[in-house]
Amino acid sequence: MVASTFGRSGGRILAIAGKEVLHIRRDPRTLYLALAMPVVMLVLFGFGISFDVDHLELAVVDQDGTWASRELVRQFTASKEFVVSTESPSPEQALRDARRGHVVAVLVLPKGFARAVSSGGAQVQLLVDGADGNTATQVLAKAQALIQVASPRLAGEGAPLPAPPVEVRIRTLFNPGGRSALFVVPGLAAYLLAIVAVLMTALTVAREWERGSMEQLFATPVGRMEIVVGKLLPYLCIGLAQVLLVLTAGAWVFSVPIRGSLPVLGLGALLFLIGMLGQGLLISVVTRNQVVATQVATLTSMLPSMLLSGFIFPISNLPAPLRLLSTLIPARYFVSVLRGVLLRGNGLEVLWPQLGALALFALLILAAAMARFQRRLD
Amino acid sequence: MHPLLVQYRAVVVKEVRQTVRDRRVMALLTLAPLMQLFVLGFAVNFDVRRVPTAVVDRSRSVESREHARTLLAGDTLRLIAEPHDERSAATLLEDGETSVALVFPPSFEKDLLRGDGAWVQALVDGSDPVRSSVAVDAVARHAAARASTLGMEQARRLGREPPRSTVTLESRVLYNPALETAVYVVPGIAAMLLLIVTTLIMSMGLARERETGTLEQLQVTPLRSSVLMLGKVTPFLLVGLLDVGLALCVGAWVFGVPLRGSLLLVALATLLYLMSTLGTGLLIATASRTQQQAFVGGFLFMLPAVLLSGVMTSLRAIPDWLVWLTWLNPVRHYVEVLRGVLLKGAGLSDLWPQFLLLSGFGVLMLGIATRRFHKTAA
Amino acid sequence: MNVIEVEHLSRRFGDFKAVDDVSFTVGAGEIFGYLGANGAGKSTTIRMLCGLLQPSGGHARVAGHDVAIAPERVKAGIGYMSQRFSLYLDLTVRANLEFFAAAYGGHGATLRAAIDAMLERMQLTSVRDAVTGALPGGVQQRVALASAVMHRPRIVFLDEPTAGVDPLQRRSFWQLIRELAAQGTTVFVTTHYMDEAENCARIGIMVDGRLVALDTPEALKREHAPGRVLDVRGPGLAQALDGLRGEPGVLDVSRFGSGATVRVDPTRVEAQAVARWLRARGVEPLEMEESAPTLDDVFLALTASAQRGED
Repeated sequence: MVASTFGRSGGRILAIAGKEVLHIRRDPRTLYLALAMPVVMLVLFGFGISFDVDHLELAVVDQDGTWASRELVRQFTASKEFVVSTESPSPEQALRDARRGHVVAVLVLPKGFARAVSSGGAQVQLLVDGADGNTATQVLAKAQALIQVASPRLAGEGAPLPAPPVEVRIRTLFNPGGRSALFVVPGLAAYLLAIVAVLMTALTVAREWERGSMEQLFATPVGRMEIVVGKLLPYLCIGLAQVLLVLTAGAWVFSVPIRGSLPVLGLGALLFLIGMLGQGLLISVVTRNQVVATQVATLTSMLPSMLLSGFIFPISNLPAPLRLLSTLIPARYFVSVLRGVLLRGNGLEVLWPQLGALALFALLILAAAMARFQRRLD
Repeated sequence: MHPLLVQYRAVVVKEVRQTVRDRRVMALLTLAPLMQLFVLGFAVNFDVRRVPTAVVDRSRSVESREHARTLLAGDTLRLIAEPHDERSAATLLEDGETSVALVFPPSFEKDLLRGDGAWVQALVDGSDPVRSSVAVDAVARHAAARASTLGMEQARRLGREPPRSTVTLESRVLYNPALETAVYVVPGIAAMLLLIVTTLIMSMGLARERETGTLEQLQVTPLRSSVLMLGKVTPFLLVGLLDVGLALCVGAWVFGVPLRGSLLLVALATLLYLMSTLGTGLLIATASRTQQQAFVGGFLFMLPAVLLSGVMTSLRAIPDWLVWLTWLNPVRHYVEVLRGVLLKGAGLSDLWPQFLLLSGFGVLMLGIATRRFHKTAA
Repeated sequence: MNVIEVEHLSRRFGDFKAVDDVSFTVGAGEIFGYLGANGAGKSTTIRMLCGLLQPSGGHARVAGHDVAIAPERVKAGIGYMSQRFSLYLDLTVRANLEFFAAAYGGHGATLRAAIDAMLERMQLTSVRDAVTGALPGGVQQRVALASAVMHRPRIVFLDEPTAGVDPLQRRSFWQLIRELAAQGTTVFVTTHYMDEAENCARIGIMVDGRLVALDTPEALKREHAPGRVLDVRGPGLAQALDGLRGEPGVLDVSRFGSGATVRVDPTRVEAQAVARWLRARGVEPLEMEESAPTLDDVFLALTASAQRGED
């Protein structure tokens, strides 16, 4: 008896899932997009999102024109961190280049620089475009370090400095090359999955409301649970296929390692996808209109998943209220799971809180969607 | 009144009525971007602070305690654990509990006092390269500073002249002396939100007319497609200008974004930029039969446009072939104008290339969209 | 004077001939009915005549202009109401009329007066500030008609205007159409409902893209469904009918559910003779009703002969 009820329910779920598959197949463009887009984007942005700022454009105003001044400029270019893009006769002209964004800094070597070097008190001026604070900080640090190294050479001081009494021996774990891609790719994967999953469900279900076929479904003896499960099932499969594709692309193109447990990763992906699909469902149930649904879905998935998930910006940097808000963003936990498993080789014993949070989110959002579903019918 | 003007006014009035009618759409067009700007302005922050740090002090001496204390006194590192041995420090790193582990060897104080090269080991989690490089930098700089004070004390004890640097760097930060991230990022976020809101509303609005059949009704009227397009674009141009105005206010009051250049220039750039985004939205709609397709198309344009615009990450950090691609990105040019005018007080003489590209892109997109629309009508 | 002149008009979609060599003319002030099954090519013809679709062959002049050469001039002289009542459902009735009138260039005080007059004429004054989507189908239909004729077009095309509207509303809608025609507007209307088609001065019937008949309703009935129609009902009818088909004077036999319609040539066979014939074959008790043929019968006869021609 119980088995037969269950069987019938399973049959109905499969029927709904089958209908959804037909919809997806009738519009193969959407399917290709859903599968190909994350991979293409991953490759594009894996290269495109990088924090390794080098080749900083420098404008040089050499008012001295001596061996010493030229040597200092040579030290700057030899480091490969700076590129001299213009040599201007006056600081005013160099500043115009800075205002136009052609250079990030202007190095001014005043007249009498060489003489000052030999008398032991030379000064050079660096004007830094501070608009982009992040780049400016790096420019300041790199220039300071360069000057410190160049200074004794210019003075021709042969006397070696005494060995530093304190030395730091640094060992970098997990990503010793400091490659941005290793950091960005797992976060990017979570980000792309979040968007695609939320939007696909939000749109398809909102469309059913708009066309009235949802009412039609309600007129049948199919339960709400069965509708929800049946509708989400095909998209869950697409989502899991996306995870596989994205990870494969990450491993091939960017040599992202998989150091930890794959089953844990799979479980995390499954919970995360269910949560995202549930979010899409909730949005569509509440809005019942494709235009509004997409706007809401974009605002609640695209931006928070990028900014509050730790994908680009570390969560510890957020102000306290936003840090609190970020605990509600499932992408945050999935990014942790991905980085933990891929880069740090973590397993269940470390990542269980993240997995728990993902499960909780999935459960709550599905419950909320179901509750709204119910109420809307009265 | 000229019949074209009558028709144009009719389309504008119709669009405004439809938009104003749905309060949710109005809220999405104005309040939502503002709230996002507010939240994101705080979220986007590259400053690396409060990096969790573990200290393994196997020296247990005055010198090691002093070294750790002065290091942790800065804002960059934050002590979270003091494990007894290296192994438990390594576990903390693997679990992601801590990002830096400092290990003082038992002989630290003895080596230091004897002056034959004391060392301290720093284990760093490199999975986030920005964070790890800042942390490494802080540790190294602190060690160097301590080394130089100790060296000077040593030299004084030995009665020798302490070494001094001959060239000093005098740095001046222009435009954003406090190196605030928000000042730089807020204009970028405004551009991004404007893109998302306008592209989607346009592409889906037209696709919706196609779906509901009103587009066919319009096509049997003598309404010209260019008049229809301009009429549809106009209200959202105004909404976009309003959005930018609001964003500038929030930027100025909440984040202290200055306005150093001409407001008129910002308005002009915004108009040209909106022509690009709205034109692209229309173009996408002419290629879509349903709202869902329109959305996917809009999304495929928006995602790369946002991520490859220099809003989030510096364009200096990406490979050259990708930089070439960003020339086709109106977001990039608009953000450059915004930052130039707001932060640097740049004028048309500095920014004419961006204006040229923006207007070219806008006219091209609107033109192609109108032509395509005209053709698909038959 | 003819306001619509169609010569050998064709439209292909790939290999499929949606409209195949159609020719006809429609005079000023005429109500012209265009009948056909779903997919027979009615909407495709209308779309070509409205300048929405380029013909693949042949010519059509509407309101004095060739639809292929000057579609924009054609559009200025016509009104069009599609089967979906393509209105802006989120706008008020008045806003819809204002918009569509302005799309044809109307403005100012004359437009406002014209809108008020139109609202009055279409009995929409009481709902003018209501949101269109919230109104019942029959009212939406009148709003759509009002939008289509606000600019006083010479010709108005109505593509299945009464689909999904109740019979009472349909009747008053046709009253409006007759008034329009009386004022000189040419009405080109497609419909599924054969009883409505009786209102048309002339009727064209499309089958599979071809125009198979064109005449007044009376002439069509005379030519394609002559005789009398007998509606019969009774037990064991099914077996008996097969034999009836070959009898002299019996033109057509078609079954509907438990009954059937038998069309006979009254000059050759009497209704009573058919009744006797059926009773003799065990159809007892027999119910029989005699009536004149309708356009339904014409339509069925034409569709059937076209299909036979294809076989």
